[in-house]
Amino acid sequence: MFGTWTALTLAYLAGLEGLYDLRYALSLLPPGGRALTTGLVTTLALMAVVIPIGFSLGFTFGWARTSHSWFPRALAATYVEFFRGMPPIVLIAFAFLITIVILRGNDRVDVFPFATSVSVLALAAHSGAYQAEIVRAGILSVPATQIEAGESIGLSRSTILTRITLPQMFRVSLPALGNELASLIKDTSLLSTIGALDLTFQGKNLSAVLVVGGGNIDLVIVIWVEIALLYFVITFVVTRTLQAIEKMYRVPGLEAAQL
Amino acid sequence: MITVQNVHKWFGDLHVLKGVSLQVNKGDALVVIGPSGSGKSTLLRCINLLVQPDEGDIIIDGVKVNDPRIRPEWVRQQVGMVFQSFNLFTHLNALENVMIGLRKVKRMDRAGAERMARFELERVGLADKADAYPAQLSGGQQQRVAIARALALNPKAVLFDEPTSALDPEFIREVLDVMTKLAEEGMTMVVVTHEMGFAHNVADRVLFMADGVVVEEGTPDEVFDRPQKERTQAFVGKILG
Repeated sequence: MFGTWTALTLAYLAGLEGLYDLRYALSLLPPGGRALTTGLVTTLALMAVVIPIGFSLGFTFGWARTSHSWFPRALAATYVEFFRGMPPIVLIAFAFLITIVILRGNDRVDVFPFATSVSVLALAAHSGAYQAEIVRAGILSVPATQIEAGESIGLSRSTILTRITLPQMFRVSLPALGNELASLIKDTSLLSTIGALDLTFQGKNLSAVLVVGGGNIDLVIVIWVEIALLYFVITFVVTRTLQAIEKMYRVPGLEAAQL
Repeated sequence: MITVQNVHKWFGDLHVLKGVSLQVNKGDALVVIGPSGSGKSTLLRCINLLVQPDEGDIIIDGVKVNDPRIRPEWVRQQVGMVFQSFNLFTHLNALENVMIGLRKVKRMDRAGAERMARFELERVGLADKADAYPAQLSGGQQQRVAIARALALNPKAVLFDEPTSALDPEFIREVLDVMTKLAEEGMTMVVVTHEMGFAHNVADRVLFMADGVVVEEGTPDEVFDRPQKERTQAFVGKILG
């Protein structure tokens, strides 16, 4: 935290000293700079969609992987292997292009926004596959004796799930889930390849404008430093929030293995 | 109170219980002894249906409980269980461990459940540890909380599965004291244990099991001092030194 402020102060001072065009740098930043504001809002909106869907998929399939019946287990294993086995950028391109090909000539659907939505879902599914493995490991970490103890006092199966298994699983899995979320936030940048107007897209756009418009090419560095900074701030806020949740629910003897 | 009739249990090819029968009268303490692998734990787990018997009947207070029409959850409210490794819920503190059954099984309101749980913790001498998590308690204290958790549901009987075997020697006494007090108060108990002093002093009946069958049964004096069967003599001789 201290290091971050120091770096920012130094960068600002360097701007005051005329090392780069400070006025241009400040004009780009939200909320004044239109492009980066749109980019920031889009990135946050993508997160708001991808995180809950990815988590729901991860939770559902992770749970299914620990099922006693073979069908949900096999289904979940197929899901995980499929979506883990491809680079997310390939998955996104695939989802986008396949949707467009299928809907070609269909005038009842707005093809491009629809294809973009499918790609967003594909990214969520990719993260969901990783989260499913985290959830599975978390559920398996709850000893069978805890469940037997629940049975021994007459708790129903659903009560054991919601009151014993899940609370213990969450405490064990939270650090790994936080890690995956941090990774997912930055993976939303891959959606810029199919035209999502997120921070990364805006960076490419601003750079192109600069280059084509014959501006000072050095300023490209300023653009990307600011974009990197905005991603950093988003990730920092999310991971700190998760750490706070972790701390709130910390119980002696149930900490996840500390790295 | 508890009648076990000709119960058989297989785990795969392993014939763990080979026709076990026993009877525990209301207010009695039955101690089950025997070498490891003799089926004692499986027998206890059959009584509260943590393990479903393959053959035979379990009758509790006149009700045949291993009947498809009877919910196992209901049976387990009637018969409490205390485990060798305590098995307290690790994410709940002592009070919450005792409360959860009252809230979720007995459907009591929070205030009532808390009052009841504090009373049960006091009975096992742990009123001051209500806020402690299992990891912050000694083995003996954890086992006493586990006993309070079982008693809170006001069961008709309590099963103890080697309740002191996982304890450091200095904590065994406090757990046995709680169990002795419970027996004196007239709780119906089935206790699997290697604590022969406890068995001698507290048990109304002692049952010796080996290889999935009841070899011998009698009063503590009969089984410990005048065992009739050769296997009992050998076992009793070894553990009493």
